[in-house]
Amino acid sequence: MIATNVRRLAVYLVLAFASISGALVWWQVLDAQTLATRQDNPQVIATRRSLPRGSIFDSQGRLLASSVVTEGISRRTYVDPAFTHLIGYASLRFGATAVEQAWDDLLTGRTDPNPLRDVLNDILDRQPDPHDLTLTIDQRLQDFAAAQLGADRGAVVAIDPQTGAVLAMVSTPSYDATGFSGDPATAQAPFDAVAALPDNPFLDRSRQGHYTPGSIMKVLTAAAALDTGAITPQTTFPDQPREEVDGFVVSGFTIREHDLGNVAPALWDLSPALQVSSNIYFAHVGLELGADRYLDYARRFGFCEGLRIGSDGRGIAVAPSFVSTQVDGGCAPFRDDVELASAAFGQAAVSVTPLQMALLAATIANDGAVPQPFLVRDLRSHAAAPAAGPTSNILDTYGGGRGDPVISSQVAAQVRQAMVDAVSGPIGRLYAGPGDVTRFGISGVQTAGKTGTAERGPGLRPHSWFIGFGPAQAGALPSIAIAVIVEGGGTGTGHAAPIGGAVMAEWLKLIGS
Amino acid sequence: MHAVSRPLELRLLLPLVILVPLGFAVTHIAQTGVLDPGPMGVAVGYVGLMLGAHLALRLLGNQGDQLLLPCVATIGAIGIIMLNRLPQDLLGTDAFGVQFGMATTQLLWFAIGLSAMVLLAGRFRDDGILRHYKYTWALAGTLLLVITFLFGREVNGARLWIFLGPIGFQPGEAIKVVLVIFIAAYLAEKRTLLADASARFGPLKIPPLPYLLPMIAIFVIVMLVVVVSRDLGTALLFMGIFLTMLFVATGRRSYVLLGMLLFIAGSYVAYNLFGHVRVRVDNWIDPFADPSDRGYQTVQALYAFGRGGLFGEGLGQGLPTISGRLPIPALPTDFIFAAVAEELGLIGAFALLALVMCLVFRGLRTAMLARDDFSAMLAVGLTVSLGLQTLIIAAGNVKLVPLTGITFPFVSYGGSSLLACFVVVGLLLAISHRSVVDAQIEGRGP
Repeated sequence: MIATNVRRLAVYLVLAFASISGALVWWQVLDAQTLATRQDNPQVIATRRSLPRGSIFDSQGRLLASSVVTEGISRRTYVDPAFTHLIGYASLRFGATAVEQAWDDLLTGRTDPNPLRDVLNDILDRQPDPHDLTLTIDQRLQDFAAAQLGADRGAVVAIDPQTGAVLAMVSTPSYDATGFSGDPATAQAPFDAVAALPDNPFLDRSRQGHYTPGSIMKVLTAAAALDTGAITPQTTFPDQPREEVDGFVVSGFTIREHDLGNVAPALWDLSPALQVSSNIYFAHVGLELGADRYLDYARRFGFCEGLRIGSDGRGIAVAPSFVSTQVDGGCAPFRDDVELASAAFGQAAVSVTPLQMALLAATIANDGAVPQPFLVRDLRSHAAAPAAGPTSNILDTYGGGRGDPVISSQVAAQVRQAMVDAVSGPIGRLYAGPGDVTRFGISGVQTAGKTGTAERGPGLRPHSWFIGFGPAQAGALPSIAIAVIVEGGGTGTGHAAPIGGAVMAEWLKLIGS
Repeated sequence: MHAVSRPLELRLLLPLVILVPLGFAVTHIAQTGVLDPGPMGVAVGYVGLMLGAHLALRLLGNQGDQLLLPCVATIGAIGIIMLNRLPQDLLGTDAFGVQFGMATTQLLWFAIGLSAMVLLAGRFRDDGILRHYKYTWALAGTLLLVITFLFGREVNGARLWIFLGPIGFQPGEAIKVVLVIFIAAYLAEKRTLLADASARFGPLKIPPLPYLLPMIAIFVIVMLVVVVSRDLGTALLFMGIFLTMLFVATGRRSYVLLGMLLFIAGSYVAYNLFGHVRVRVDNWIDPFADPSDRGYQTVQALYAFGRGGLFGEGLGQGLPTISGRLPIPALPTDFIFAAVAEELGLIGAFALLALVMCLVFRGLRTAMLARDDFSAMLAVGLTVSLGLQTLIIAAGNVKLVPLTGITFPFVSYGGSSLLACFVVVGLLLAISHRSVVDAQIEGRGP
C-alpha cells in the first residue's frame, strides 16, 4: 500500500522536476536572446562600455556623431547641438535615446544587416563590427532652421512630401550631450547641469511637445469637410457676416471672432475664410462635418495615436496628437457641439505635435496621401576615419513612402489652392504673407501656408504657428512641407510664418544649387 | 558488527578524485588566466572527506544503499567548486580568532555533516527512541523554534538564527527532521484508521478530523511560528512535506487537494496582510517592473540563466562582476542554482537536477523496501524533504514560484542546512541497512 503510493509520488516528483526543466529550457534557450539584448542586462552594459560605436553622418556625408575607445571606455562626441534631439545620446550612464536608441543594435553591430553574418558572429563569438548611419537631413538646413529659432523656445519640422524624408527637425533650446556620453564615472555632473537649465532642454519639442494649434487646424477641418462633401469650396453660411460681429451662439455658448484688423466682415466662402482665418466660418464647417466624421478624418491624418519616424519596425516615437480630450492615449468623443466647433478652428482640447502638423501640410502637398516620415537614409560599413566622411559600402537603405491617400487628390488640390491664397491672396497676404518664399530671394515660386495664433488663456502670449509647403503653384511638385512653432511667440504672422518662409526658401536654394 | 565492502559506492566515488581537483584547477585558471591549478587544499579535503565517509561506512558495517553517498558527493562537489570559485570573503566564519573563507567554512560543515551521517548510518539501529517519544520530539522541536523566534538573531528580515559564540545555526533546519520523524511516527500508527475512515463534506472526502487532530495541532503550531518568523520558504517546504506524507500514508489525493486549497487561501491572506509577502509575489509576477531595486536579484538570476545558454559560459568564466560585486548578492545561498546553470549551461543544470532526482529515487526505493510502516514513512518524509527543498528553491530561481530563501541541498552555502541534509542521508542509510539485513535474515536478497 505504501509502496504503491510511493510509486505514484515518484511520478508526481518527476513531473515537478520536468516543469523546472521546462522553465530552464525557456530561460536558457528560447528566451536567452531576448534576455541577452535587454538594455538593463549588466553584460550588455559591461560590453557597451568598451564597444566601438558607429558614426552618424548628415545627408551630405558631414560627420555628426562619432565614438573613440580610450582607456577601455567608448566615448562619443556630438558635433552639432542642432541635432541633439533627433540623434539623441548614447550614454553609458543614462542609456540611449532617439536615433541612438532605435538604431543601437546596428550602430554597435550587435545586429548585422546580413542575417548569415549575424549567426556566424554569434557562433564564433566574434566582436561585432559597428555600422554607420546616414541621415536624410542636410546639416545646412538643420543649422539654418535652428538659427532662425535662435533663442526662442520652439520647433521646426520639415519633410519632403513626396518621400517622407525628414529635411529638418529642430527643437530649441538644445544642449550638448557629449559631456555625459563618455566615461560614466564623470557623466552625472554634465547631465545634472543640463537638467538644471530652464525650459527643459531634454524635451524634443518637435515630436514630444504638445501645443494648441489654433488656426493651422483649419487645414484639417477644410480637408475633411471637402472630402466628405459637407462643404464645397463655394459653400457660404448666410449668418456668418453678422456673427463675425455679434458672435455665433452654439448651444448657448457664444463663439467670437478673433481681431480681424482692418478686414471688414463679408459673406465668405472657403478661400477668403481661410485667408482671413475666420473662426466663425470654420465653426460652421465643423458643425456641418459632425463629430464622428471629424474624428474619423483626424485619425486618417495620424491624430489620436502615436506615430513613428522610420519604417520596418525601427524608428523613433512621436507623441500622439489629439483633437479632443485624451482618453487612454486616444481621442475621446467630443463632449458637445461647442467643443466640436472650437476644435474645428484649433482651440478647445486640441493638442498637437509639430511633427503631426508638418505631416498635415505634407499630406496636402502630396495629393492627399500621408507620407511615412523617416530620417535615417542608409546603413554603411564603419568608416575608420569618420572625419573623412562615410564609406561608400551601403549595407542597407531605409525609406518612408508616399503613403496611402486619405483624401481625394481633387480635395487636396482645393485645399492647396486655398493655402496658396492664404499666403498670396489679397487678404491672405496680410496674415501668411511672410511665409512667401519670394520674400527670401526665391523668384517664380509660390508657397502654400497657414498661420496659427494659438490662444493659451488670459495673461499668456499665444503660440505662434505656421505650416506650409512649396513650390505650390499649379503643376509644381512640392519639395518641402514645414511646420514651425514658436512658444509664446505671439501671432503666427509675426513670428512663425517668416521662419517658415525663410527655411523653405533656404531649402529651395540648397536643392537649386 | 563487522566490516563490509561497498564496491559500487567506491567505484562511483573514485571519479571525484580527479573531477573535483580538476574543477578547482579549471576555475582558478579561468579566473586568473595563468596556467596554475591554484590552491588545492579544499579540493583534496573534500575528496578525502568523501572517501573517509565511505571507509567509515564500511568499517561500521553499513550495508545500506550504495548510491546515496555518491549522489550526495557529486552534488556537493558541484557546490564546493562553485563556492570555491566565488570571492571567499563574501561569507565565511570568523571563529576562534581564525578567518575561514567561504569554501573552507563549507568544507568544515561537510566534515561535521558527514560525521553525523556516518554516526547515524553506522550506529543507529533502534528506531524506538524516535517512534515512541514522538510527542517529546515534536514539543522539543517546537520549543526550539519558539526560543529562536523570541531570542534569535535577525538576519535579512527573518529571525532564524541562534548564535552560540561565533557559530550560528538555524534551528529551522533541525525542526525539519524532527517534524518528519513526528509525522512519520504518527501516520505509521494511525495509517489504517486514516485510510479507511473518512467523513464527507459535500462531494469532497475529508480526513476524519478527530484522528488527525493531534498531528494537525502540532503542525499548525510549527507553521504559525515559521510564518510569524517570516520564513516563507520553510513554511512552503513544511506544508509540502506534510501533505506528501499524508498522501503516501493514505493514498488520498483529496487530502492533498484540500491542503493545497488551504495553503493557497492562507497565502492569499498573507499576501494581503504582510508587506514582505506582497513584495515577493509582485516581484515574482513582474521582476522587470523594478529591475534595479526590488526585482534586482530575480532579474539578475534570469540574466544568469540566459548567459548560460545550452552549454554554459564555462566553469569560472561566468558571473561577470558589476563594479567588483557579484551580479547576484545572495548567490552562494539562494541563487547557487542560477550560478551553476550559468557556468555549466542547461546541460549542467539538467545534470544537477538529475543527480538530485537520482538521490530522491534511491530514497523512495529505500522507503519501498523498508520493513515496517514507520521506517517507510520516515524514509519517504526524509527523501521528500530533500526533493521538495530542491524543487522549491530551483523553481524560485527559474521564476516558476515566488522566490523563497531556502537552500539548495548540498550545494548552497550554509552549515545548518548541510548538517540537516546529512542527518537525512544518515537516517536513510540506517533504514536501508536494516531492510537489507532483515532481508538477509529471511534468506531473500534485497
